[in-house]
Amino acid sequence: MSAFLTYLITGLALGCSFALVASGFVTIHRVTGVVNFAQGTFAVVAGLAAGALLGRGLPHGVAEVAAIALAGLVGLAVGVVAIGKRGTPPLASLVITLGLGILAYAIEIIVFGDQPLSFPGLPGAVQVGPARIQSQYFLVIAVTLVTFAALGLFFGRTYLGKALTACAANPYAARLAGLNVTRMGLLAFALGGLLGGLAGVLITPLQPIAFDSDVALAVNGFAAAIVGGLNRPGLALVGGLVLGVAEAFVAGYLSGSYQTEVALGLMLAIMIWQAGRRLGVAEEAA
Amino acid sequence: MTEHRIGVVLGGAVAVAALLAPLVLSRSHLTIYVLLGTAAMVTVGVSLLMGYAGQVSLGQGAFYAVGGYTAGLMAVHDLPPALGLVCAPLVAALIATLIGIPIMRLRGHYLAFATLAFQLILLSVIGQLEVLGGDIGLQGIPRLGIGPAQLSQPRSYAWLTLAGVALVLLVARNVITSRAGRGLRALATSEVAAESSGVPVARYKLAVFALAAAFAGLAGGIYAFFIGYIAPGSFPVLLSIQFVVMAVVGGLGTIWGPVVGAVVITILVQVLNALGTQPGMPPYASSVLSYAVYALLLVAVLLFLPRGLLPTGVEWIRRARS
Repeated sequence: MSAFLTYLITGLALGCSFALVASGFVTIHRVTGVVNFAQGTFAVVAGLAAGALLGRGLPHGVAEVAAIALAGLVGLAVGVVAIGKRGTPPLASLVITLGLGILAYAIEIIVFGDQPLSFPGLPGAVQVGPARIQSQYFLVIAVTLVTFAALGLFFGRTYLGKALTACAANPYAARLAGLNVTRMGLLAFALGGLLGGLAGVLITPLQPIAFDSDVALAVNGFAAAIVGGLNRPGLALVGGLVLGVAEAFVAGYLSGSYQTEVALGLMLAIMIWQAGRRLGVAEEAA
Repeated sequence: MTEHRIGVVLGGAVAVAALLAPLVLSRSHLTIYVLLGTAAMVTVGVSLLMGYAGQVSLGQGAFYAVGGYTAGLMAVHDLPPALGLVCAPLVAALIATLIGIPIMRLRGHYLAFATLAFQLILLSVIGQLEVLGGDIGLQGIPRLGIGPAQLSQPRSYAWLTLAGVALVLLVARNVITSRAGRGLRALATSEVAAESSGVPVARYKLAVFALAAAFAGLAGGIYAFFIGYIAPGSFPVLLSIQFVVMAVVGGLGTIWGPVVGAVVITILVQVLNALGTQPGMPPYASSVLSYAVYALLLVAVLLFLPRGLLPTGVEWIRRARS
């Protein structure tokens, strides 16, 4: 029972971090149609930066917020290169973000070194029935839920959020209504950067992060995001949680080495299932 | 001179130079030569897949690994190495066909992630299989040879690689100029239009995927015999990305573009490596430099020369002549 609870809660927390990365994918894809391969990079940049800033003696809170803001700036920069030039097709933008992710490797190694890095998160542990679980796991879950609620309010209730949604639904009509679609796309990239950064800052105390951790983060985040067809943040949260819990149970009850196969196999299965239901014509027109 | 004649003369000159080069190259340069050749072979497949079938694969390193492991495993178990080299592309194509049946239904970024996922799964599985040497890898792969005649000189592997590149280019050229090639070009522009004109879209896409995998498998086989040791770490995701970079930089949908891309990237990385290992440079300098070069070249070419170096260069020459 104790093991079950531990796996469940750590899995939920892991899934929350996937969901945050996924929400970045969704935010950017909804508005720009681009799948941002550098989504894992944002998390890595923020995690590494937070660790470095804490190492310099900055207090907790300030360091994390600064690191998330940095990830937002990185997101904006990626957006400028990927969609700033008019007429870049989405698939070219995908490969560009891939290139920027590798460029980030070079910069991260110079700035932060090439060794994995971690920092202490929320201290202490909570007694849940028979199990003692680090408080940081609960922090991750709480922050993720608040973030998703805020995202829901932002997209549904604010003018800016509705403008972003409008660009996603029909860029042409949005332009006619006087919205600057490119600027909205850049805003989406910055927001995606912030969300990725939040994931990185939350996850680094739980598992050390290195410059090349971005592939694993991006693949897991993408797997969560496709549950909602890359367009629906709520379903991305569900996808992230399912994936996180499944991985934690597999790692706990079977073996840690099957974790990758399960997560990726699940992702492939979902994608193939979705492809089977979609009509080819509708996809191509988009 | 007509354009075609210039092309033939240039191609011939490159072929002669490539044929003679192994005679004068040093041992370490021969290693670069072989790696460049194998990369070019894989990249031709990537270029076919991206340029003609309109599909991005971020998992081509997986088929390179399949070829390497097929050849290596057969040779380690005392089967004739030459048979292993023949089986490497066949097994790679077979596996590509099997996984291609479900995943080739995916498009664009979905396929990119699916192929990437396939490579990650494959590497993880190889790392856990005792038969394949696990994470430690396959060691002591014997030299390639038929009976008592063995290729022991690095120089002979250079020629073998060159023959492999020639074979791959020939096959690619024949595919593109055939009726099937026209069908492929049609489906890259619009699958619906191609389908309604009678192109069997799904079958063609699968066939190109398998062919690209076969090229990668052959390259992997040569690599395994040349290096004599393979492990999951020999085939990182970055390798797959490198093949995409080479294909994009050289020019998608051309035959010689991938070769140009492979040459440009390999030579640049080698120069930077030499620069990065100079005394006084930090230990991480060479990897940082090569990451930066991959990235900057890829982004710059996609934004400013979207057709790639070779087609753009040909265009410039054509304009200068007229």
